[in-house]
Amino acid sequence: MSSSPEPGLRGMEVGETRRVYGLDVKKVGKDLYEVFIGPQHPGSGHMRIIVRLDGDIIVEADPDLGYVHRTVEKLSEGRQWIKIIPLIERMAILDACNVTLPYVEAVEKLLGIEPPERAKYLRVLLCEINRIASHLYGMGIFGVFLGHSTMYMWPFGDREVFVELAEWLTGARLTHSYPVPGGVRREMPDGFSDSVRKAVRYMRRRLDEYRKLFLDNPVIRRRLEGVGIIPKRTAIELGIVGPNLRASGVRYDVRAIDPYEVYGELEFEVPVFEEGDALARAWVRVEEIRQSLNILEQVVDRLDKMPRNQGLMHDRFWAKAPALFKKVLQDEGRVKLMPLMAMVKVPKGRAMARAEAGRGEIVYYVESDGGITPYRMRVVTPSFRNAIVFKYIAPGHRLADLPAIYGSIDYFPPEADR
Amino acid sequence: MVLDLILDIILWPPLFQLAILPGLAAALIVVMGVIWFERKAAARVQMRVGPLYISPRLGGALQLAADLLRYTMQEIIIPRGVDRAVFIAAPLAGLVVSVLPLVAVPMSPLPETWPIPMDYSVLVALALTTLPPIFLVAAAWASNNKFAVIGGMRESYLITAYEIIAILSLLSAAVAAGTVNVVELVEAQSGGKWLALLNPLAFVAALVAVLMATSGFPFEIPEAENEVVAGAFTEYSGLMYGVNMGAAYIRRYVYSVLIALFFLGGWKPLDPAPGAGVLGGYVLPALVVLVKAIAVMAFLSFLRAVYGRYRLDQALDVAWRLAFPLSMAGFGLGIILAYLGVV
Repeated sequence: MSSSPEPGLRGMEVGETRRVYGLDVKKVGKDLYEVFIGPQHPGSGHMRIIVRLDGDIIVEADPDLGYVHRTVEKLSEGRQWIKIIPLIERMAILDACNVTLPYVEAVEKLLGIEPPERAKYLRVLLCEINRIASHLYGMGIFGVFLGHSTMYMWPFGDREVFVELAEWLTGARLTHSYPVPGGVRREMPDGFSDSVRKAVRYMRRRLDEYRKLFLDNPVIRRRLEGVGIIPKRTAIELGIVGPNLRASGVRYDVRAIDPYEVYGELEFEVPVFEEGDALARAWVRVEEIRQSLNILEQVVDRLDKMPRNQGLMHDRFWAKAPALFKKVLQDEGRVKLMPLMAMVKVPKGRAMARAEAGRGEIVYYVESDGGITPYRMRVVTPSFRNAIVFKYIAPGHRLADLPAIYGSIDYFPPEADR
Repeated sequence: MVLDLILDIILWPPLFQLAILPGLAAALIVVMGVIWFERKAAARVQMRVGPLYISPRLGGALQLAADLLRYTMQEIIIPRGVDRAVFIAAPLAGLVVSVLPLVAVPMSPLPETWPIPMDYSVLVALALTTLPPIFLVAAAWASNNKFAVIGGMRESYLITAYEIIAILSLLSAAVAAGTVNVVELVEAQSGGKWLALLNPLAFVAALVAVLMATSGFPFEIPEAENEVVAGAFTEYSGLMYGVNMGAAYIRRYVYSVLIALFFLGGWKPLDPAPGAGVLGGYVLPALVVLVKAIAVMAFLSFLRAVYGRYRLDQALDVAWRLAFPLSMAGFGLGIILAYLGVV
């Protein structure tokens, strides 16, 4: 550095700013090292964590969000009710059904309709497929953050099973736009339930292998045990949701405490761990996948007992459907949407709905002034509520723990930024 | 006449060992092969195909050559804030120094093939293996980049841990055989009395030390991508980056050659007699050593598919609490072996 013609940083006072190599450099504290993890850092998503280090120890961590903000809420105000669905599922394309479902439910509340039984089961079917795929995605990212390349590839490979199932059911791998106000857009294909059962058996076996390779791996256990502990009290005060909350010993799952669709009729457990560390968060996801597999089995069992090709759409949008539409449903299993769907006027009022998405509780508030577009659409996403945790959990850990914490939180920037 | 002169220079044992076999040229081929194996093996475990697009008939074996070609074509960016001289010199010096231990070890028992007198070759080789990390730390410091400095700092922490383990565990082989001459050390292992079997403690400790020295999993800490981008190499681009990464693999190769000689009986199934010629007296024994070294490297590389990475303090913990006592025990076992006269 002695060869450089520009002034160095020698002898700077705390708070002083100097221009070095075209950058304004500010000394933030004595012996503190400010490192920007993100947004171009390989260990960050589309976000930035400003980390201040004392040696190798994190003194301060500041999550800086908003790099992928896309004004979803404002854009919604200019779109017809049904056209909002493809927009909002862009927040978390890997969890599309879970993310759009509460919006659809809120609109249904305003319309005063309830979808038929079969449509509800089909929604739950896709929701759980999405949840498994979303958890597997998170675990893969978690694996690669800890340098475990096999745990990166395995969940991504196994996720393909569920993405393919979703594609077979809805026609799209990720952005399904499957639930619409009044029902769902497609009937379950022939042989689908057998494929689901096969996938469930396969995934149960794989979860055991994950445990052997990753969760019980001595190196990984040392990296995760006691790291990033969110105490129960803190988790509640910060408003953490989803698997992260349940890993801290709070039994809070919207599916269980406020059942929507047909979750009230299904048997499943809510996995809760007391430790609150990164390892517990990893285990919660594995156990949730197990529970989702149970739900999938129950759902396809019940769907098999119901008559096919009927009860997919509420009568309000289906009773007056022309013969051609009904023929398409019989032949191809597709529910063609009536033209009135695009210009449907939702009665004046306010509605709220929530669901348990892969990363936690997602809440929609919808306000209608009786027009063809919402007056206001507000969404609170789980990733946004979880992001604050970096600020309170990371300090005191080493820099090398940051990937372990980040991966275990399963933070998804586009969902948080909306 | 000129050709003879050139041949004389190339076949001069020190230069030949440094540059061709088992030095740079062989190292390049071996490293390319091992990286290919590493990728293919990891891909097999991970339900992938691995390198294939370049040369599908060879299973993508030429992918590494393509990567190397790409590195040579890329622009080398030298940021404004770096210490230019050190920034450029450190990786190159590091590469050369990495290969140097190979000049201190024999590939054959025939004296005319030795690059240097072999009387103290164990000590010379071990001393030379300790040089390259200095250049890595220098490169990190010269980069004037936060991630590079953190990476260099991590490397220097690890040096303090693994160096003593590496030297102790490799020396315990010499202790067991009662010699600091590599030729005698290898000859002492004739008849299948490999020191890896007689002294497994030191052998395992040596493998751990090599993993730490060459940032192999689970000790891939100085270059941990998700934490410090590329560690000391963050500011390097193009060929300079390739040289840096190559140097790390070449270090692993050099250590593997040393382990093959010290623990796995070197050229031992072969026993070249004087007057065996270049092929029988040098090339074949050298290839035997190379095959054993490749086996060691392949094993070390495969761990990538099994382990994640330790945190720095945990790695130091493992080194001092586990591997260091292990290497001490190995050293003690070496003394016992020498006392009993087994080797």
